[in-house]
Amino acid sequence: MLKKTAIHQLSDLTSALMGKGTLVAPVREDAGFNFREISDAKQVDLNFHNTIISPKSVFFPQTEDFIRYRTGRPLQEAETVEPEGKPLILFGVRPCDVKSFEIMDIHFSCTGAVDPYWQARREAATLIGYAFDVAAPAEPEEFYQTLGIGAADPEGSDIFMVRRGDDLILKSITGKGEALLAGIEGLAGASADDGKFFDDTVAAGRNFKTRFTCVDAKAITKKLEDLFHNTDFWEKASNACLSCGVCTFACPTCYCFDICDETLFGRGTRRRVWDACMFTDFTLEASGHNPRTKVYQRLRQKIGHKYSYHVRKYGVISCVGCGRCTRHCPVGIDIFSIVEEAMKA
Amino acid sequence: MAVSFQQIEEKLKTEARRLLESGQVSLVLAWGRGFDEKHPMPYVAKGASDVDGIVFNEFCTHNLARYLVRYPRGTKMAVAVKAADSRAVVQLIQEDKVKRHDLVILGIPVYGIKNPKTGEIIDGKTTCGLYNPVLYDILIAEEVHGQPVSSPYAVLAEYEAMDQDARFAFWKKELDRCIRCYACRKACPMCYCDPCFIDQNKPKWGEKSPETPGNLMYHLTRFHHLAGRCIDCGECSRACPVDIPLYLFHKKVAKECEEMFGQAAGMSIEDKPVLVNFRMEDSDKILE
Repeated sequence: MLKKTAIHQLSDLTSALMGKGTLVAPVREDAGFNFREISDAKQVDLNFHNTIISPKSVFFPQTEDFIRYRTGRPLQEAETVEPEGKPLILFGVRPCDVKSFEIMDIHFSCTGAVDPYWQARREAATLIGYAFDVAAPAEPEEFYQTLGIGAADPEGSDIFMVRRGDDLILKSITGKGEALLAGIEGLAGASADDGKFFDDTVAAGRNFKTRFTCVDAKAITKKLEDLFHNTDFWEKASNACLSCGVCTFACPTCYCFDICDETLFGRGTRRRVWDACMFTDFTLEASGHNPRTKVYQRLRQKIGHKYSYHVRKYGVISCVGCGRCTRHCPVGIDIFSIVEEAMKA
Repeated sequence: MAVSFQQIEEKLKTEARRLLESGQVSLVLAWGRGFDEKHPMPYVAKGASDVDGIVFNEFCTHNLARYLVRYPRGTKMAVAVKAADSRAVVQLIQEDKVKRHDLVILGIPVYGIKNPKTGEIIDGKTTCGLYNPVLYDILIAEEVHGQPVSSPYAVLAEYEAMDQDARFAFWKKELDRCIRCYACRKACPMCYCDPCFIDQNKPKWGEKSPETPGNLMYHLTRFHHLAGRCIDCGECSRACPVDIPLYLFHKKVAKECEEMFGQAAGMSIEDKPVLVNFRMEDSDKILE
């Protein structure tokens, strides 16, 4: 199903979507764009390149409660927080971020142990993807093409949107998407010419150049394994690294978390909170031993995990080339430059 | 400036090569190429062959004093510093985290340094309003004179016009956006505690989740841990991925300290940090 709407009528579309479920979409904030739950249809703003934090936070929030309790009360009174399964519409997701959900599914639902919180939200969600502008050059941080992701890949989305001048063309990709699209009134039918434009954009997206040439995941996997004990290489690569957590928190495929009990004024929650392999205490053991005390060990772990161990274990690089880590790094470390250096080493 | 960024880069390379070849230092902390021109990176030259990697341009914002505490005590190091960065070196010497005789300070008088994210010139707003390093062994360019010098506290006017409730509301709103990536503390040359109080869990000082109680605990404590120590380089604010104006609080505390104790942080290695020093003539205003 192919439909279209004028960009200036975007709020009619988002308002209709709000009638179908909780709408989460890009919103302009002080420091840039982020995906937020929409309370006013006019908040949605598609004039963004990419968001600060990836939309993984929609399915895997930075803080998630599992159990709520009161201190001093019997254990039996503690309440379990049930997974949410209310309909959710995730609007305006870039193709590289859509791809990241498939990688995250590996960890949260596809390898035996199923995370009910992730899965409930994922199943209840309808994804509406949005192509990058293939007429404008990619931002210098991005390298999704290197990882085989097009700037306008509709795969993984339920509905995919492409902008044509002042119009937004919407095409259903899955049955779920078709059902949602069919239920929205006020959308105009799209012409055959719009359909051709959509297909041309998808094709152009596949040839869309981000800054690196294509890579061989197997070769990288092997090379990083070979380099593991080359301390000189990793020390040099991590000389500038501050060992903060920006890269991991902004990353769409970083999934590590910590389980904490947090209590305030007698009310407590057992919750998970994002953690980062770049933090010193990430690997601190109860004995006091810490296997990764040095910055280079932590950076090696981060890069090795994404580009080597993950490929060895699950057959896919755990990175979608969105460029957020590079964009936000306070000292300008570029993850893929390190991989390139490794290949030369 | 009398010299260009390019000339500064050449002089940095010359001095770095000389220091490394003579064995006077075992490493030089400077800036190197990043993934593009707008993103130079902190860079460590450990031998003459690394020297060609050094760059200097208008986007060299980073305060390299932050890396001094990473190397074992006694390591002979050269460090390239701009004005604010030199104050961090001085403050670290005052706090005995590095020894003066282990350092060769390459001072760079400079203005017009830009934040790569916003393109904004950082001289007045988030640096200490100085153009010349306060301490150096080798001057990399001629001292800057005749540039307009504004008070580092001038940007506080709007903030100080707020009453107590408005200030609390302001900080609550700003700090609620914090994602607890700790880039601010990691970029800070004066944040060297291991472990940081917020990472401790016995006792636990603050919550780990990015919500109001933990965010206030983390930031307000950090602001106060830097009282009389913050040298106003602005690295915390530039490192922040969500642009929280942390520098405002630091400047406010720095201003209060300077008014009470007559001493700004990191100006002289003869000074003692105000909050660890007792003098009979010290102000009692803090108790009021």
